[in-house]
Amino acid sequence: MKKVAVALLLSGLMVTQAMAADTIKIAITGPFTGGSAPMGASMRDGAKLAIAEINADGGVLVGDKMMQFEVIERDDEAKNERGALIAQELASMSDLSGVIGSVNTGVVMAGDRHLQEQGITKIITPAAGSSSMTQWSKAGVKDLSIFRFAAHDGIQSAMVVEEAINRKFTKVAILHDSTNYGVSGRDDLLNQIKIQGNKLEVVAVDKFNIGDKDMTAQLEKAKSGGAQAILIWGIGPELAAVSNDMAKLGMKEPLIGGWTLSMSNYIDNAGKNGNGTLMPQTFIEEPITPQAKKFIEAYYKAYNVTRIPSPVSAAQGYDAVYIFAAAVKQAKSTDTHKIKEALEDLKEPVHGVIATWQKPFSKWDPANEDTHEAFRRAQVVMGMVKDGRVVFGNDADRQRLIKNATVQKGK
Amino acid sequence: MNAAIVGQMVVSGALMGLVYALIAYGFQLTYATSKSINFGQGEMVMVCAFFSLTLTNLGLPYWLMVPGGLFFGVLLGLFVERAAVRLALEQKSEGWILLTIILGLFFFSAAENIWGRDDRPFPTPIPSEALHVFGISITPLEISVAVGVFTIMGLIELFKRKTLLGKAFEAVSVDRDAAELMGISATHTVMLSYGLSGMSAAVAGILVSPITTVGPTMASVLVLKAFSVAVVAGLDSGFGVVLVGLFLGSLESLTSFYVGSGWREAPGLVLLILALAVRPTGLFGKTVIRKV
Repeated sequence: MKKVAVALLLSGLMVTQAMAADTIKIAITGPFTGGSAPMGASMRDGAKLAIAEINADGGVLVGDKMMQFEVIERDDEAKNERGALIAQELASMSDLSGVIGSVNTGVVMAGDRHLQEQGITKIITPAAGSSSMTQWSKAGVKDLSIFRFAAHDGIQSAMVVEEAINRKFTKVAILHDSTNYGVSGRDDLLNQIKIQGNKLEVVAVDKFNIGDKDMTAQLEKAKSGGAQAILIWGIGPELAAVSNDMAKLGMKEPLIGGWTLSMSNYIDNAGKNGNGTLMPQTFIEEPITPQAKKFIEAYYKAYNVTRIPSPVSAAQGYDAVYIFAAAVKQAKSTDTHKIKEALEDLKEPVHGVIATWQKPFSKWDPANEDTHEAFRRAQVVMGMVKDGRVVFGNDADRQRLIKNATVQKGK
Repeated sequence: MNAAIVGQMVVSGALMGLVYALIAYGFQLTYATSKSINFGQGEMVMVCAFFSLTLTNLGLPYWLMVPGGLFFGVLLGLFVERAAVRLALEQKSEGWILLTIILGLFFFSAAENIWGRDDRPFPTPIPSEALHVFGISITPLEISVAVGVFTIMGLIELFKRKTLLGKAFEAVSVDRDAAELMGISATHTVMLSYGLSGMSAAVAGILVSPITTVGPTMASVLVLKAFSVAVVAGLDSGFGVVLVGLFLGSLESLTSFYVGSGWREAPGLVLLILALAVRPTGLFGKTVIRKV
């Protein structure tokens, strides 16, 4: 553990000493300041933790040579124009092996085409909406160098509806914000309710704007319709306003929605009113498996914290680096095009903290975005807010992960 | 129509309306004496809220934080007057419009850089557990907003009517030139009005923050509504803003329940157009005959 921490500190020094040809250059981009910073910075820190571990072990075997990772960090500040500039800069680097990062859909839409033009391999993590991938399938791109390592909205909405049905609810209300994210979330939810057999009666559908603080009208509609749960798609501050107004109106029904309900600006602003909120998560900050325990402890130690700002982002950043490293090893090259081909056909399983990844990606097919999507339903669990933290919402998920981990150990 | 729901909508909306009214009152104070408006009033509300939050985080108890925040508001108001308004008024130019907007933008950037872009909770000793009166839920926090708004407006109105300084304030409002001939310094009175306006912004910030959370954009929606309220009520009526604020707030709330939350903003705008078409000086405004 100490070795990792020291390596983390020294990694900046070491890479400058190493010759350019001896390193694997990887760029980490994302919002490290501003409103989305908890996600961006946690992803960066998780990714750098993995890189420090790999470098401390001597690096990645590329052909017959051990090579170290060299990190290039860029803060896009969640601003689209910054994202475009950074992507242009990265696209112009001839010896760049790949890019990991992004949180905001707008930034991805503004920047990724520059990377795709040069065929630079990018793994989108921890987030970005569906359009970050559908833009390529709609355009009918034949050869894509962009991969996504995040639970997409389709999986999330399916889980939200499933959760409501499993909890024996029959009447629900859908609330969403008026942005693209919220509206497409509402459509996904309505669609999922239909797919899953129309077991839920939607008693109210209503929206709110970014910046709205008074949600009484929307909630009264849900209440008078007799909703037993509120399915919701929005971001932190407005979600908190909904939660606080529900407490005021004496509504005890749970909020179930997208993973944004685990954002710290929801959890902190909703306070105890947020308890019981359910949302899909790719990682829960509980040391239930040896991998999770090792990761959480290493993270706490390396960054001197007692709580990961966004555990999901940190774990995804960490696993994305290990998957990338496996692709470099298999490609026997630091060439970004060869790494892309290796990513599309990873032979060896990658033991990550979220799961053991067996062939996470396959050859890109514009008719099927899942080819460049790593996450399936099985890797996502339901999280629940409890006293300012996200814990497992269902014990079954917890037991499943523990079982999976022991099965792997047995192999 | 369910009476309890209507009651709930009216009460919740009216409380937001009172916040609009308090910010609108800040517009009125400066307009009365100088015929100028601080277009950065919303940013003042936000900066005062952040400053008060910092005081709280430093460990100051609530009863010490409030006067601290108010004092900061007064200073900020005086700063705006000195930096953006005084020179423009002396030169009889409309430069204060642009200057107050610029100062507002400056406050916004400063807040982003000092306190960051996140929305943060604002701790308060006032409980937020709802009370239920005739089927209507209302929190002590919301009651505190109402009490605070009426207290600060009542005190300022009393001050204007009962004290010598306040009479000077009224005199300058009615006729600046005549007041100056009587030996009242218009410059000092304008300073006073900006100070008071800054204080009302601080009160708004402290009262509303526990409900809305504190962030750089917290007041951008509020201030637009406040502006409608000020114009509909008339920029020189004192308590008119309260009535219009209460009405607009309830109307918004009822509209979003019965028509749809997408139409929430519509009645306010219709009201604004109607008011300007029928009574350009505002519902409670005085028609001033200007002698040329």
